[in-house]
Amino acid sequence: MRRKIWWLAVLVAFALVATACGSTDDTTTTTGAAAAATTTTTTVPETTTTQAPEPAGPIIIGAAVDLTSDMSFFDGPAIAAAQIKIDEINAAGGVGGRQLELRTIDTELDPDQTQAAAIELIEGGAEVLLVTCDVDFATPAITEGINAGILTVASCIGTDQMGPNRFGDAGRLAFSLGNVAQDEGAAMAEFAFDKGKTKAVLVTDNLLVYFQDVIEAFKVRWLELGGEIVAEESFTSFDGTIESVVTAVDGADADIIAVSSAFADLPSTFTTSLRALGNDTTIICSWACDGASWVPEGLNDFYYVTFASLFGDDPDPLVNELAEGVASAAGFTGTGGFVTGASAIEAIVAAIEETGGTVGSELATAFEGFDGLPTISGSISFSADQHTVFGREYRVITITDGTNTFNSLWVATSPAEIR
Amino acid sequence: MSFVQLLIDATALGALLALVAMGIALVFGVMRLVNFAYGELITVGAYTLVLTKGWPIVLRVLAAFVVVIASSLLMEVIFRPLRRATAATMLVATFALSFLLQNMFLFIFGPQGETIEFLAPLNRAIEIGDLRIRWITIIAIALGAVLLGFMSWLLGKTSVGLQMRAAAADFTTARILGVRAGRVIMLAFVLSGFLAAAVTLVLAVQRPLATPNYGFVVLVPALVGVVVGGLGKLVPATLGGFAIGFATVVLGDLLPSGSRVFLNSVLFAIVIIVLLVRPDGLFTGRTGVAERV
Repeated sequence: MRRKIWWLAVLVAFALVATACGSTDDTTTTTGAAAAATTTTTTVPETTTTQAPEPAGPIIIGAAVDLTSDMSFFDGPAIAAAQIKIDEINAAGGVGGRQLELRTIDTELDPDQTQAAAIELIEGGAEVLLVTCDVDFATPAITEGINAGILTVASCIGTDQMGPNRFGDAGRLAFSLGNVAQDEGAAMAEFAFDKGKTKAVLVTDNLLVYFQDVIEAFKVRWLELGGEIVAEESFTSFDGTIESVVTAVDGADADIIAVSSAFADLPSTFTTSLRALGNDTTIICSWACDGASWVPEGLNDFYYVTFASLFGDDPDPLVNELAEGVASAAGFTGTGGFVTGASAIEAIVAAIEETGGTVGSELATAFEGFDGLPTISGSISFSADQHTVFGREYRVITITDGTNTFNSLWVATSPAEIR
Repeated sequence: MSFVQLLIDATALGALLALVAMGIALVFGVMRLVNFAYGELITVGAYTLVLTKGWPIVLRVLAAFVVVIASSLLMEVIFRPLRRATAATMLVATFALSFLLQNMFLFIFGPQGETIEFLAPLNRAIEIGDLRIRWITIIAIALGAVLLGFMSWLLGKTSVGLQMRAAAADFTTARILGVRAGRVIMLAFVLSGFLAAAVTLVLAVQRPLATPNYGFVVLVPALVGVVVGGLGKLVPATLGGFAIGFATVVLGDLLPSGSRVFLNSVLFAIVIIVLLVRPDGLFTGRTGVAERV
């Protein structure tokens, strides 16, 4: 019996570790790490009342990001895009006569390395900090950045956790150039409704808060529009129940299926199994489904919204040009999220030009005032309450016969209220 | 979803995990090694199918079997110096190998996944009234039954099986009596690799995106099933794997949609209760005494 219990304890511990490792998501502040982060960042850094002399050297933008592990798929192309944009700006004379310099340290997604990278960059003179594209993984760096009083920016975090919602008052200095899930889900609902769809099945992957928030936002906006929810299914990626979810969805009388997940269960297994059953219902997904790597042969009637088309047909020629540059520099573009690296630099530069310096609190005020700031990733807006982008022009991509093509631009009328 | 349809879906996952559990139990029975790297054999098979896209199906299947069995033998070579080590040492070694291999897959293939494109039409279903039974579910169940029968015959009716059972019962004594222990262990790894390749083929149809953790995600529930069913005993362990898969789907259906995030919590709570009541395993018989392997 003791041996059995010992083996069981090992297995349970291993499963818990595996689950924790898999939860690379924007989880809520109920976790220990998140709570600790909130606790340790509630002190607003003091700002000096006298203006410090303007440094003469380059404006250093530090980047504590992942270039080797799971988030490298997002961070690598975003950082490559940021460097291309910086090179363009420097070639045009820089910002206020100062050149921009990007210093990058690979965190390998290790919490200790992430914190150490942020400290090294800040002590090395970084005046703005870029962090990885996941709020949990980025928290050790975000904490260092905002406690040092510098503007801290993620390229593509997609929840409302990047800011005061999670980091308290000091979180005023934290922003994400990703699309907030409330806006993205609303855009998906409005696009589907505009296509004449009225009866929706919702499939929620509980693995990430971002996935959950997108579907909740879809639901809220769908009901506001007068649409009907005929079924709601949920699962957690890797829990083994995706086949029964497919069976349940197949049995629902719907004309649109709303999904949001980026792992093997969904979209890959879900779409393969559903279509094999002869179910051709239109499916709409969030940015989570961006990219061609998962698409099964012959998939039809599948839509997703994203930042940019990767397929050479983006309506903005500058985006297509940037995609080529990123593919050349990073070796791949990953998802349309690569443009957020360049637009992060554009937003930072706009804030520096507006405030005349790099004081974190002043840059944050400038960011909160952006209302339709034009960037290569489209028009972006922030507010005092919402530090993740809303109001951007989404690229709607259609998959027909297994091929991704740009369909249209779509802007949500407003983010959906989900909390 | 109808009750019968639920049972069909539950059987599909149960059959898959039963196959995984069989492979784990086979090696444990002979070597007392809980191989956490077993899932990576399945991943190797998946990436083999990715790399052979465009080949005739028969050659792809053959390649998967050859590569996975060769990888299993390689694992046997790696673990050979640890044969006399403690169970904890061997366990940590398999952890390390598992994470090493997953990171190698991540480095080579990246995190985004690769489509396998292997016999996708087998996901189509036979319709019987309102019921839909996928071809791959039927194949998985049939394969599980055939392989379990074959393994039982091999171990129970052949001389090599007798040697494996002797080695499992008392390794040292078996060697003194002339059993070639090294060959027995190697055979266990060959059979284990064969089973991993079979799992790969079923899984590749059902889950057509190869990722670095492809095999790992089915390994953990199968391992729990092995413990629940009866650690080190082939038939009980296989039934344990089946039971975990079956229970996962049934519980997933019973829980309200908003509460399914607690599925694993509920499942593990049930597992603990089962082991407290039946510490030697759910399928080992009243006495709890059963021949290993």
